[in-house]
Amino acid sequence: MKFEWPVEKWPARICSVTIGPSGAEAGGGKRSVTVGGEGALPFLALEGPLPHRPALALEVRDELPDWPQVLRDALGPSCHDPVAWARRCEEEWGAELICLRLSGASPEGKNKGVSEVVALVRDLSGAIQSPLIILGCGDVEKDNALFPKVAEALAGQRCLLGPVTKDNYKTIAAAAMANGHSLIAQSPVDVNMQKQICILLEEVGVKQERIVLDPTTGGLGYGLEYTYSVMERIRLAALQGERNLASPIIVFPGSEAWRAKEAAQAARSGGPVQGVVWELLTASTLAQAGADLLVLLDPRAAAAFREHLGRLWKGGEAA
Amino acid sequence: MRRVQVRFLPAELTVEVEPGTPLLEAAYAAGIELHQGCGGQGTCRRCRVAIRSSAPEKAVSGPLWPEGGLTWTLACQARVKKSLTVEVPAAPAPERWEEAVVGEGEQAWILLEAAEEVSTELAPVCFSLSLTLPPPGQEDNADDRRRLLRVLGEQLGGAKIELPLRTMQLLPNLLRENRWQVQGVLCRTPGGYEVAALRPLRNSYHLYGLAVDIGTTTVAAELVNLGSGRVCAARGAYNRQIKYGDDVISRIIYAGEHVEGLEELQGAVIETINRLVAELTAQERIAASDIRAVVYAGNTTMAHLLLGVPPAYLRCEPYTPAFTVPPPVRAGEIGLRVHPRAWVYGIPGVSSYLGGDVVAGVLSTGLDRESPLTLLLDIGTNGEMVLGHQEWLLGCACSAGPAFEGSGVTCGVRAVPGAIEKVEWDPVEREVRVFTIGQQPPVGLCGSGLISALAQLRRAGIVDRTGKFTAGQGGRRLRQREGEWEFVLVEAAQTATGQDVVLTQADIQNLLRAKGAIFAGLRTLLHAVSLDVGQIERFWIAGGFGRYLDLEESIALGLLPPLPGQCFRYVGNTSLKGARRVLLQRHLLEEAVELAERITYLELSLGNTFMEEFISALFIPHTNLELFQRGEGAA
Repeated sequence: MKFEWPVEKWPARICSVTIGPSGAEAGGGKRSVTVGGEGALPFLALEGPLPHRPALALEVRDELPDWPQVLRDALGPSCHDPVAWARRCEEEWGAELICLRLSGASPEGKNKGVSEVVALVRDLSGAIQSPLIILGCGDVEKDNALFPKVAEALAGQRCLLGPVTKDNYKTIAAAAMANGHSLIAQSPVDVNMQKQICILLEEVGVKQERIVLDPTTGGLGYGLEYTYSVMERIRLAALQGERNLASPIIVFPGSEAWRAKEAAQAARSGGPVQGVVWELLTASTLAQAGADLLVLLDPRAAAAFREHLGRLWKGGEAA
Repeated sequence: MRRVQVRFLPAELTVEVEPGTPLLEAAYAAGIELHQGCGGQGTCRRCRVAIRSSAPEKAVSGPLWPEGGLTWTLACQARVKKSLTVEVPAAPAPERWEEAVVGEGEQAWILLEAAEEVSTELAPVCFSLSLTLPPPGQEDNADDRRRLLRVLGEQLGGAKIELPLRTMQLLPNLLRENRWQVQGVLCRTPGGYEVAALRPLRNSYHLYGLAVDIGTTTVAAELVNLGSGRVCAARGAYNRQIKYGDDVISRIIYAGEHVEGLEELQGAVIETINRLVAELTAQERIAASDIRAVVYAGNTTMAHLLLGVPPAYLRCEPYTPAFTVPPPVRAGEIGLRVHPRAWVYGIPGVSSYLGGDVVAGVLSTGLDRESPLTLLLDIGTNGEMVLGHQEWLLGCACSAGPAFEGSGVTCGVRAVPGAIEKVEWDPVEREVRVFTIGQQPPVGLCGSGLISALAQLRRAGIVDRTGKFTAGQGGRRLRQREGEWEFVLVEAAQTATGQDVVLTQADIQNLLRAKGAIFAGLRTLLHAVSLDVGQIERFWIAGGFGRYLDLEESIALGLLPPLPGQCFRYVGNTSLKGARRVLLQRHLLEEAVELAERITYLELSLGNTFMEEFISALFIPHTNLELFQRGEGAA
């Protein structure tokens, strides 16, 4: 008798989300990226369709944080100019998307004004072809002031904005909807709260193909296993028919991995840079858990991750 | 020291107290129950009273402030210095909430009759027997005692019977003076019976018993005629332990950390019961010593405190109480002012947090003898519940906090006259209407009013599913004060207190946590036995709070599961009813012990299920919306 693989069949599929202008919206050489659409667990093409390969984004900051020297060196002098930084991400380091984090707007930091931020966002968007992810500064009031203007400035570009939480979603969701953007729905590593924010967004009229989930990333040694198991639960529930969780997942292995004190340690002579390994391990683990969109930081980690993904990926619509 | 007088308006009650007495104590002494929300910490400001005497600063020491042309103070903080007159704002007449505490009465949504008494055969814990003894003769020269016991033994089926000294002293003359025909008062003892009294046959006596429900917040008592089984009178009062803390945990801490703290707490609850006894006996015109038996039901902490047993270990892992079966005591031993030799029986509990009140609830509803799957939910400071039927019983307790009893909520009050019990939002006028108990001017929101208010605000879109206010909705009634959003239900001009009745963002979060805890407890119980909410055939709600509960609103909010209306039934104060049943059917003393052992206690702090369910339930109505489709449809 011929051996047959036991194949799990899933009744539901993950919604596809397209970031970047598509169809009539497109123009001026702008690209778009589509993620999600899975009908099977990560990399298990045997069990169902996996139409889109996990996408790689690289993170850019409007204000360079106090990052370890090994990371600054890798980013080079361009890291003081967000536009130049974003162009290198796109042209040299293989980013499919650019993720701009507006940390300089934070009232606890440089507290940049709304118009300054909007001007930067406009410049940066004009300089690249890749779709944009825009992250707020984390301060509720400031983000609520920023996003309506940023969303307006990028109207029609189908950016991914966020994150929004159940305590702060109304203003940002309204701004996103009015200007044709999508949203990152964040939860504090909790499957029920993840569902709650998705229901809330649905109730204010955000369509599911405009939602990406952020279950909160914990880096290696700093909660990675919690993120992993919550992502696993989200994905299993979604494939079993939990509609409100059937959205692609975004993770931030880059900035989270480099927060670890181990990452900042200098490389042993001849060995790899520990931070790069830290970031790569975090990213590859989360890809295994079902991440659709991975935001990395270090170009060396990004290159290694793309190579890893290339070996692992056997997806396709008709597996 | 010279005593001073404190006159309370509008009740026109005057008491004499020592100078230096806290005003709250003076109010207690006058029989006035002031609102209490913080255990006398001076933070809830609910015991505000106005001082009507000139020179208030000379009359009392404590905080004073002017407002609306009057000088106000906090009764829990102020101490009396000189004679004075005090006005209590919107003093709640006690009748209505007493009704609720005692748990009798009707409710519109009760589609079925209140739970029938399971058995009505009268066999009280204390009863009289007419006895005819064969006179002694040459053939039969047994002593008087043996002669009496022989006759009693025949009537009581060979149970062990004791003759206390007092009875012995009366025996020889009484028997002979009454030609060997006497009336014996027999009381159930822990080991059998005792002949508590002997009387001439011709006199008619009434024997009374006392059933008591000792709640953390309120104490309810019934005077029961043991001859007829009739309830003669019922009364309720705040548990005087409130001033030592609002919940059982703070009282356990107080008992352990203060010198004589345990004695104070014991004294406070005994005093509460004694006052109720005094009122009940005065009403029925009987002597306190006519009360020959007491049965009480209370949570495990209350039972410990009543008996003066240190409760400290109830709150320490692994949460072991000193006892679950309370030892029977004589009333005189704990200072209860009924007949000093009356036996005081407590209904046994299951665990530290599933007490005799819940066992009494099961006992009085009889759900343990019937086949339909039933959930008995007692909503108080703790949400206690028992799920099961004749084959098995599973119980748990979850801390709901005092929100449903009006505490921990800015404008929360207990279900007193003037308490808002229903709120209606008019979507056309975009205006709010409130309905109060007794159609009195509003004093605040009681538990059912809170539920109604939140359900209506949700329906109107003024709050979202997490209970957060939506800016721009609610018009002028939604405002921000000191950085916090609040919704004005009634403006100051229309209230009895002269202050706005509001529902704040923090109040809503408290309420959501309370309802979330109860629903999560329910789901965890069901999960433990792999059942679904829909399989519950009967959903019985006990406790004072349940009385005014609007079913549709409670389901819309996710406090109650979306079962068909006929599943729900309000069963009243089942703790008190259970105590009464034991009083009238002495064999239930043993059955209650067996029943308590049959209830499996589910510790919610073990495992992840409860926390998961709790997070899911912190949403209106629930993260799993499908679970509430009926509730949504009604909304």
